[in-house]
This record gives sequence, structure tokens and C-alpha cells, in this order.
Amino acid sequence: MSGVKLESIVKAYGAVQVVHGIDLEVKEKEFVVLVGPSGCGKSTTLRMVAGLEEISDGTLTIDGKVVNRIAPKDRDVAMVFQNYALYPHLDVAENIAFGLRIRKESKENIEKAIKDVAGILGLENYLERRPADLSGGQRQRVAMGRAIVRRPKVFLFDEPLSNLDAKLRTQMRAEIKRLHQRLGVTSIYVTHDQVEAMTLADRIVVMNDGRIEQVGSPMELFLNPVNAFVAGFLGAPPMNQIQAVISGGDAAPIAEFAGQQFTLPPLPGLQNAVGRKVIVGIRPEYATPQTKAVEGSVSCTLELVETLGSEALLHTTIGGEPFVIRTETLGNMDQLNAVNGFTADPALVKVFDAETGVALSGQLRVA
Amino acid sequence: MANMKLYSRNDRIFVIVNMVLIGIFTISTLYPFIYIASLSFSSGFEARAGNVILTPIETTLEAYKYILSERMFWVSYGNTFIYTIGGTIMSLLFLIPGAYALSRPQIYGRRFWNLLVAFTMWFNAGLIPFFLNMRDLGLLDSYFGIIIGFAVNGFNLILLRNFFEGVPSSFEEAARMDGANDFQVLVKVYMPLAKPAIATVALFCIVSRWNGFFWAMVLLQDEDKIPLQVFLRHTIVTLSDDQQFTATLVNASYSVETVSAAIIVCSIVPVLIIYPFIQKYFEKGILLGGVKE
Amino acid sequence: MSDAVTPKPAVTPYVNKRPVSQRIVDHLKREWQIYLMLAPTVIWLLLFLYKPMYGLQIAFKDYSIFRGVAASPWIGFEHFETLFASEQFLRALKNTIYISMMSLIIGFPVPILLALMFNEILNQTFKKTAQTIVYLPHFISSVIIAGIVITAFSPSAGIVNTILSWLDVDPIYFLTKPEWFRPIFIGTTIWQEAGFQSIVFIAAISGVSPTLYESAVVDGASRWQMMWKITVPSIMPTIIIMLIIRIGNMLEVSFEMIILLYQPATYETADVVNTFIYRQGLQSGQYDFAAAAGLFNAVIAFVLVMTANSISKRYSRTSLW
Repeated sequence: MSGVKLESIVKAYGAVQVVHGIDLEVKEKEFVVLVGPSGCGKSTTLRMVAGLEEISDGTLTIDGKVVNRIAPKDRDVAMVFQNYALYPHLDVAENIAFGLRIRKESKENIEKAIKDVAGILGLENYLERRPADLSGGQRQRVAMGRAIVRRPKVFLFDEPLSNLDAKLRTQMRAEIKRLHQRLGVTSIYVTHDQVEAMTLADRIVVMNDGRIEQVGSPMELFLNPVNAFVAGFLGAPPMNQIQAVISGGDAAPIAEFAGQQFTLPPLPGLQNAVGRKVIVGIRPEYATPQTKAVEGSVSCTLELVETLGSEALLHTTIGGEPFVIRTETLGNMDQLNAVNGFTADPALVKVFDAETGVALSGQLRVA
Repeated sequence: MANMKLYSRNDRIFVIVNMVLIGIFTISTLYPFIYIASLSFSSGFEARAGNVILTPIETTLEAYKYILSERMFWVSYGNTFIYTIGGTIMSLLFLIPGAYALSRPQIYGRRFWNLLVAFTMWFNAGLIPFFLNMRDLGLLDSYFGIIIGFAVNGFNLILLRNFFEGVPSSFEEAARMDGANDFQVLVKVYMPLAKPAIATVALFCIVSRWNGFFWAMVLLQDEDKIPLQVFLRHTIVTLSDDQQFTATLVNASYSVETVSAAIIVCSIVPVLIIYPFIQKYFEKGILLGGVKE
Repeated sequence: MSDAVTPKPAVTPYVNKRPVSQRIVDHLKREWQIYLMLAPTVIWLLLFLYKPMYGLQIAFKDYSIFRGVAASPWIGFEHFETLFASEQFLRALKNTIYISMMSLIIGFPVPILLALMFNEILNQTFKKTAQTIVYLPHFISSVIIAGIVITAFSPSAGIVNTILSWLDVDPIYFLTKPEWFRPIFIGTTIWQEAGFQSIVFIAAISGVSPTLYESAVVDGASRWQMMWKITVPSIMPTIIIMLIIRIGNMLEVSFEMIILLYQPATYETADVVNTFIYRQGLQSGQYDFAAAAGLFNAVIAFVLVMTANSISKRYSRTSLW
């Protein structure tokens, strides 16, 4: 079981604590993505797993062995860096072989390993080139080659795609996913890009301010965020969050905002809670645009239509607050430009406590 | 910059005047070297008479013959090579690991260690205490004393340190993950990356070793250990006062002037040979070490 | 969008539970190689630069070679009193200040002008060649430079007197004339260093954005105007920093060159503090007395350097070291 287990992991620089006791278990062969805004401690956490940062407190176990005080090289992990850190004075083959040479592997083994890795990553024709002569995608591949050649127990990725342009990023994302499926090595991947997180992860760990906000599969997090932060972080465009006050309703609670009423799902805590402040969360995808007032609709003012081809983003405002609706265009622009309201299925609406941001319970089915 | 044809008349005059001035300055820099070279190839008589202006007069190799037959010339030339090569290697042995260590963020007391270096650039105990210290260490009159006594220099150390600091730390981290220890990180990753900076520092060391004379003059009593520059000073300063030498010159085809000039030429030639390398690196080096962001 | 954020538990300052001694042991176990790399340099600094600072105490002692630094008896400020009563020392001090001031006033603008002029040269081959030549003297040893000066100014054979003879001027033995020493010395150091010192300014000029010149050309500025209205103001920060550095290092008169060029006949104008120390200490063996002069020099130099450094730090937020 070459899993990674973090128990109350703390990182402090002097008296300043930046990671506040993280608990996480990464199972064997699992692909876990740490995601969060910059400065949330995700990279620091990864670097503690790598052994590049000292662990201030807590226990880190890799493959059942406590490794807190074990040097990076003896942890049997490999890392892909954001800037790749390819040695510019060595060619591709020697970059890949560097770790093996340091470990004094036999010549034949090294030759064979380079060949294997080059085959896996499609680098056969570039082995004699220097990093400076490679494209961004090729460099990225070499960086991965350097990691996989040692057949480590764990792969660590530190924002490996952020130096690539959008198109290459999508391509390499798929390649990383394929590689993981093929090699099945436990992987921890750090990114600030929620799309990467959603597409790559078996499980996503959303971090904020040195703490874990939520851990779960991509769909779990998308459908049932435990709080407003997670809800706002995952999904593009992010979930609309409207400040509202409960204004009545016994069977179905009613929320009031900007002088309008909206029926909420019957969640615990909303019955007989007139005056309670909440945040109503509606994903842009789950709001159905309307061109005239209908039963249960909320009126909004259309400000801008962004057409993306098959889809369009309608930028509207409700009482001055922005609200985005994502809808299919079907080539019907006139109708889009006439939108002045929306309806939303209460079953797909999330409600959060306005004070704490915590989601009022009520699970959506995971598709 | 724009094409000359696009310039106004005044601009053209300005550019031409400027070029002439630079030309004059350049020639005035070059001329003394040409003058010395011509002198060294002229006959002693013409040189004494002050007839050499630009080109050699009564071209002769007598001055060189005299110099090349001097035992001390060869001894001191050989010594200079020993001091230059030995001193440069010694300097790099200290400077490269030292600068690398100073550049590492993880060492304790990093500010203190750096201050220890910087302070030596601000405050200098001076000639006498340094000399007495060398004597107390038993390093007077010794090859080793000259080689080790000037091995470290704050400017070079900081120049290298700044370069190492500029290398992204992910190179060190990647190498560590690959299993390298600190020495391997330095030798296999940072030194190849720092080649231009190391070359700059090595060239600075070579030039200052080749040219150094003051401390060699002070610390070395034994004639057989003096470097070329000290021998050169000896020749230039003392020959002109040396009645015996002057007396032998009456009919000789060389003179104090031509002999001095010949030694100067012999001593400059190695510098000229490595000058293209120096030029390639020193501009970068000056800017690398002088001002730190 | 929501402003509501998960409330954060109050952050208490982190207290590391591992004892300091244990942490140091861990640290050394992990990083000992780095300290091993640092050690030779630190030991060298202590042995060759800091130990002499300890030895400076002989400036306050009646130093005897046989007793050594520590055992020689203290005599307080006696050497300093002698020093300031010594006409020779006061003369050296005056010469040091005079020579360094003149070098600064005359020598400082030359490299700036050179850099500005190099910038106006369009022919790249000419520019590169000229630069290569004017940088060269910096790399030539002061003995050779002095040798060239001595030869060129020699009364019988020197080129200078040859030229003077064409003008019907009697030969002048320049290097024995006190009034000629300073012009020759200052001229020589400028000749040797100006080209090299221009590098910093050339680099600063190359950092000026070309769009400034392009817009000036569109506005109809002449090259002369662009030089003074764009280039000079743009490199002003560099000029000021270099000036501060020069002032900080002012006392560092290149005494090696003076030792090579001066003779008893010119001591009057040529003897500076360092050459005075050299003669008193290394040639006459009055180590304690000479060390006192050296200490005086070093303290003043230190104050100048530190002041310069702190001014430049404030001025540019760039530390020089």
C-alpha cells in the first residue's frame, strides 16, 4: 500500500503558521489534486510531502513508513516542477538519466530506462537535444520523464501546466491523465486551476488559508459543496451567490432579495426561520433564462451577452448584484437579448448560512 | 538606431565630430603601447637619442636577446605562472563552495555570514597588520604564502554568490529529489549553470595575479621566488641608476629604454592572449557583482 | 458574489514543541555539507582578514617583534600624538585629500562622457574596436603602466621631451619635479581606468527604452538634444550611485602606482598616507607607528564607505553589496 498519509501536518515559519494541521489520506494509485487560491498552503503541503520543506508538526507516512525526518531522496517520491527545472547543460537523455546516474545504476539499466521512458512519452527523436531547443510541451514531457524513470512510489506535481499556453495545457492534461491510468502511481497534484482539478482528480482537496475546506470526488464537490468558498471556487463561471433573507413559508421556505421572492428547497433550518440571513447559490448552468415573468421566476436586468458558440453567458444584475446565466444559444440571439428573468429548480439550488458560509444540509444526488 | 541618411545636417556634423573625438581618445590609449613596442625593437642608440616616435628605428632584436639571456627573467616569468595558476585554482577552491553556501537560504546565520564577508570590504586592517600576520603565520618568502594569502576576495565572492542566488531554487530541489547530495548539486548542477560567472571570476583572478606586484615585493625576499612584475620594477627603476649597467651600454645596441620596453612587451603578451576571453565575460561580471537588487 | 467566507479559527502564534537543541541537531544532520562548504572561506577570512584587525591593537602599543602583539605594553595614544605632530604625516594626509579630490573632479566625468560618446557611434565595428582598446589599460599591471610613463617622460629618450624639443623647449626631468607629479599621476590613472569605468554607464544607457528616442525623433529633436534631454536624465541614477561609491572609496588612492612613480625629490607632492605607512612600517620597521597611521586611514575610509552605502541605499533602494 504505497499511499500517503498526512496527520495534523503543520507548517510554521517561526511563529507564523501557514498550514494548520492537515489530515489527508491518499490511497494507493489514487490521483489527488490539491486546489485553492494562491497562498492557501497547497504548494507548501506538497513540498512537505516531497521533503523540500521541513514538517513543523504532525506525522507524514509514505507507504506505511513515517518519513518526517527522511531526506527527499530516500522517500522514493518524484516531483515535476512548475518551471520543469531541466538541467540546461544536459541533453534530454541525460536529464532523464540524472537521478539514475546519481544513484549509480548500471549503464545497461540506465540505457534501457531512458529508452522505455522516451517510448512512453514520445521523446525518442529528441534525446540528444538540449532543453533550450525544445518546445514547452516537450520540456514538460522531459520533466515527467525525469520523474517516472525512477519508478517512484509517489508522483508529486507542482502546477506543472501553468507555464503552457491554453491549447497545450488541455493536451498535456489529457496526457497526464493517460499516463496515470497507464502507470497507476499514487499522485498528488497541486494547481490553482479548478478545471485541471475537475478533469484530473480522483479526489479533489480544496484548500483555503492553510486548511482543508472539503475533500471529495469532483462531482461531489461540484454538486454538494460544504460551504460558500468551495461553491465559489469550483465551476466556471462560478456559482452565483445572492445574499437573501428568509421571509416566510412553512412547507417551502421563501427567500427575499432585491424586493423579489424566491422559493427555496425545504432544507432543515429554513422552516420558521423568518429573518434568517442566507446565501442562495445558483449555478449559472442551473438557471433557466426567461423572456417574460412566469410562475416562480426572478427578474433580472440583462447587461451583456457573451456568445461562446453553442453556449452563451448572460451577464445580468439583480438589484445591482451580478448574476450570470449559462445557456445554449441554438442560434436564437434575439431571444437571448430579450431575457429579463430566470427560473431555477429548487432542487438544484444551494443555501448557505450568511454568517458562516456553511451549506445547509441536503444532498444532491451525485450523477 | 536610425540610418545616417535620415539625419539632418547638424546631426551629421555632430556624429562625425564625435567619431573623431573617440578616435583620438582611442589612439591616445593605443599609442603608448605602440611606442613601447617600437622602442623594444629599436637600437639602443636611436632610443637614447629620442628618435623613436612611431615605428622601430634600426630594427634589432638585441634588447630581447639581452632579456632572454637573463636568468632572472626566466625565473620570474616561471614564478608568475606558478602564482597565477596556483592562485587562481586556490581562489576557485575557496570561492565556489563558499559562495554557494552563502547563497543557500536554509543556512542558519546567513545574514551574519554575509556580513562577515561584506565587512572585509568596508574595513581593512591595513598594510602593517596584514604583513605582521603573514610573518606570524610563517608565510613570508613562500610560494604558498602568496598563493593562499590572497585567495579570497569579497568582491569575487559576492559576485559568485549573487549568481548562485539568481538560479531558481527548483534546480537544487530537482537535483535533491533525484538523490543528489549538496556537493553533487553544486558540482553537477550549479557549477555548469554558473559557468559564465565562474569564468568571469577566474579571469579576474588570473588578471590580478598576473599583474600583482606590491605584496610580492613586500613578502618575498628570495630573488628566486619573485614574479615577473617585481623583476620588471627592479629593472625599470634600478637599471637607470645602475652605473655599471649604464657603463656597459656605451657601445651596446640596446639601452635601458629598449630593455625595459622589451620586458614590458614580454609581460603584456599573455594578457593580450587572454584578453578576448576577458572581454567576453567581464562586462557581464561587472554588472553581476557591482550592484545587487 | 458572496462576501461570506468560512470563519477562520483565531490563529495563535505557532510554538514549536521540539526543543531547540534537537532542532539544531536535525538541521545539522540535514545541512552539514553546506557548512562544510562554507568553512574554508570563513576560516580564511578569520585568519587573513580578521586576525590582522586584532593585530591593529599595536597602534596603541609599544610593539616589539620579540614580545608579539599580545604581550607588548600598552602606551595609549602616544603614536597618534606623534603622528599628528609629524609634518610628514600631515603632508601625506594633505596630499591624499588633494590627489583624491582632483582625481574625483577631473576623473569622474570622463567615463560618463566616453559612454555618451560611444552611444552616438553608429558604426558597430568602429565602436567595438574602440571599446576593446580603451578597456585594455585596466588589465595591464601598474608596473607596466609606470614603466611606460617613466619611459615616455624620460629626459633623454622620452617621447614627451622629444616633442618638446621640436618646440625648442629644453628637456624637463618630469618625474623629479614636484609640480609635475600630480598632473602626471592623475592623468595616468584616468588614462588607465576611464575606459573601463565607462562600462557601467554604457550598460545604463543601453537600458534606456528605445521608444523614448523614437518619439523624440518624431518630435524633431536633434541628436545633441536627445543626448542631453533623454540619455543623461535617464542614466542620472547610475551617475549618482557611482559618484557616491567614488566618494566612499575616495581614500583608496592607487598607492601602488605612486610607489612606482615617486622618488624622494617628489615626496613633497606625491607622498600619500599609504605610501607613508609603507615607508615607515615596511621599510623602516616602525610597525606600531605605521599601524596607527593605517588605523586612522581605515577608520576614515570606513565612515566614508558606510555613509556612502547608506545614502545610496536610501537613494535607490539598492544596496551596493
